[in-house]
Amino acid sequence: MAQIEFLEVAKRYANGHVALQNLNLQIRDKEFLVLLGPSGCGKSTTLNMIAGLEEVTEGSLRFDSTAVNGLPAHKRDVAMVFQSYALYPHKSVYENIAFGLRMRKHPKNEIDTRVRSAARDLEIEHLLDRLPGQLSGGQRQRVALGRAMVRQPAVFLMDEPLSNLDATLRISMRASIKALHQSMQTTFVYVTHDQAEALTLADRIVVMRQGVVQQIGTPDDIYERPANTFVANFLGNPPINFIDGVVQDDGSEPCFRSGELSLAFDEQLRAELAGCAGKKVTIGIRAEDIDEDATYADCQLTGEITSLLPVGSDQFIGLQNGGRVMFFRVGKERSYRVGDRLSVSVNPRRMHIFDQASGVNLRANAS
Amino acid sequence: MSSALLAKRLALLVGSVLMLMYVLGPVAWLLSSSLQREADITSIPPHWIPSPPTFSSFKAIIDAGTGAVSTDGNASFVPSTAEYLLPALRNSLIVASAVVVLNLLVSIPAAYAMAKIRYIGRDMSVYFMLATRVIPDIALIVPFFLFVRKLGLLDNLGALIITYLAITIPFSVFMLLSYFESLPDELDKAARVDGCSRVQALIKIFLPLAQPSLVAVILFTFLTSWNEFLFALMFTQTAASQTVPIIVASFTSDFTTSFSFINAAGVVAIVPPVIIAVVFERYIVSGLSAGAVKG
Repeated sequence: MAQIEFLEVAKRYANGHVALQNLNLQIRDKEFLVLLGPSGCGKSTTLNMIAGLEEVTEGSLRFDSTAVNGLPAHKRDVAMVFQSYALYPHKSVYENIAFGLRMRKHPKNEIDTRVRSAARDLEIEHLLDRLPGQLSGGQRQRVALGRAMVRQPAVFLMDEPLSNLDATLRISMRASIKALHQSMQTTFVYVTHDQAEALTLADRIVVMRQGVVQQIGTPDDIYERPANTFVANFLGNPPINFIDGVVQDDGSEPCFRSGELSLAFDEQLRAELAGCAGKKVTIGIRAEDIDEDATYADCQLTGEITSLLPVGSDQFIGLQNGGRVMFFRVGKERSYRVGDRLSVSVNPRRMHIFDQASGVNLRANAS
Repeated sequence: MSSALLAKRLALLVGSVLMLMYVLGPVAWLLSSSLQREADITSIPPHWIPSPPTFSSFKAIIDAGTGAVSTDGNASFVPSTAEYLLPALRNSLIVASAVVVLNLLVSIPAAYAMAKIRYIGRDMSVYFMLATRVIPDIALIVPFFLFVRKLGLLDNLGALIITYLAITIPFSVFMLLSYFESLPDELDKAARVDGCSRVQALIKIFLPLAQPSLVAVILFTFLTSWNEFLFALMFTQTAASQTVPIIVASFTSDFTTSFSFINAAGVVAIVPPVIIAVVFERYIVSGLSAGAVKG
């Protein structure tokens, strides 16, 4: 059980590279926190700092209010699962799982009980005598999980643990990890660049970019109220559509205008954007936030269908409007053809509006 | 089997046999002549099979070493420095073993640190270390000599141990470094999170995995120390510190040369390296290539 706190933490390498800047983050006890971002954003560095594998250059890192900056990895009560599994190739599955307990000098019979119980839970009991080289990717992943589980650590760290698995296995392992968190009742910190993993697993997500936290929030917060264009763009499949333009206010009906395109604001948007007349903005429309029946008459997008991408349950269409192609997710029931002209409307409530210069979300309820 | 394939195999077989004869010929002659009488060795044509084989040269080595026979009365058959051969064997064994042990003690932690710890000047230290091996040994004789004299270690086994460490450690570190670098960093991290200190991670995880490279380092270090001639010639003067190559070479400095004795001494000199090579043979190739893959 542990609460982890980063206070003004920075990480600079000897070559001058800054991996992390001014990180302030509180990870609650028993929380499942996901660090999400593209490669090089500092998420793995943050995880390694918690593990004690990277030194903190500046600021303070605390476990339950005690600073642990100088505490080496082997003295912290953390367990970690790695992307490459990092199983010891010369040790059997049993010895791999038992190793952490042996290093901490647990009694032999207790080690045996814990190893066998974890192996049973992970359905790898029949593999205990094998060497890692004789296992499949999924089995290795389970051994790596078992090795961390038996330790019953205060903090459970995972560094892209599912990246090397195939798509089907990844989804079933996601469910296993979620169940593991519920049964272990301990703090989980999970690093990934996969938005689907983050959205499924997390209690809260921290989105990072180039060593700077972009947004911290629940999966809903992050998806529905992205703090800036980076966060909005990073989550969503297909990605959110951006249109650059200005807030036009001729006195009566403020709206968004970009060339020929005009999207009217509803009352709530008008209130939120009061005083923004003339401001250069970028609006973001998520692929699923359009209405094929063109319900919102003042908020219409018309264009030619340039591509159709069926994805099983529904389909993505590419719609060319004013020189740009936007992608939307539509139902399978209607059949479209490439070259058709289509009018869709956008629910103004679902529009994200960002300042064009800073990328910050201008809607007042954005976190 | 097609005739082309058959011809290819035959050519390979003939090539291999020729190669083996070229490499093993001198060793076979060494063995054979060590079991022959002096007159048979110099006879033309040479006898490859000793008839009858005689162990008199080996007996002479033991007798000379134990002082059982005076070398004065039998000068044409036993070199004047023959009595130093057995002490030289002991010296060589001490030097080679000490160099192997000390070399491992230094090169293992050094290679681990260079491979797995990012510190300022890491790359520089690797290049600097390798640069020392670019200089030919003969160019180092004078500075080494002055250094050894200053330490008061002339004619002392310590001088050889220090010198051989200086010439073997850089290459040993390089071999181990390549191997440690080829092992994923995550293995090191996993060990540390599992409760290992740096030293424990090295001993419990990296060393068992590096076994082939370690064996290669042991062989390289032992053979280099065992065969080294130049430094040993410069830094040793008496039987107290002279090693096998020096003593065997001295057998040719009398007015008469006893080939059978020299060859018997040669056989004795190659026994320890051969034993080591045979014991570790199966690791040698995998060790050298394991380190070479990611150099």
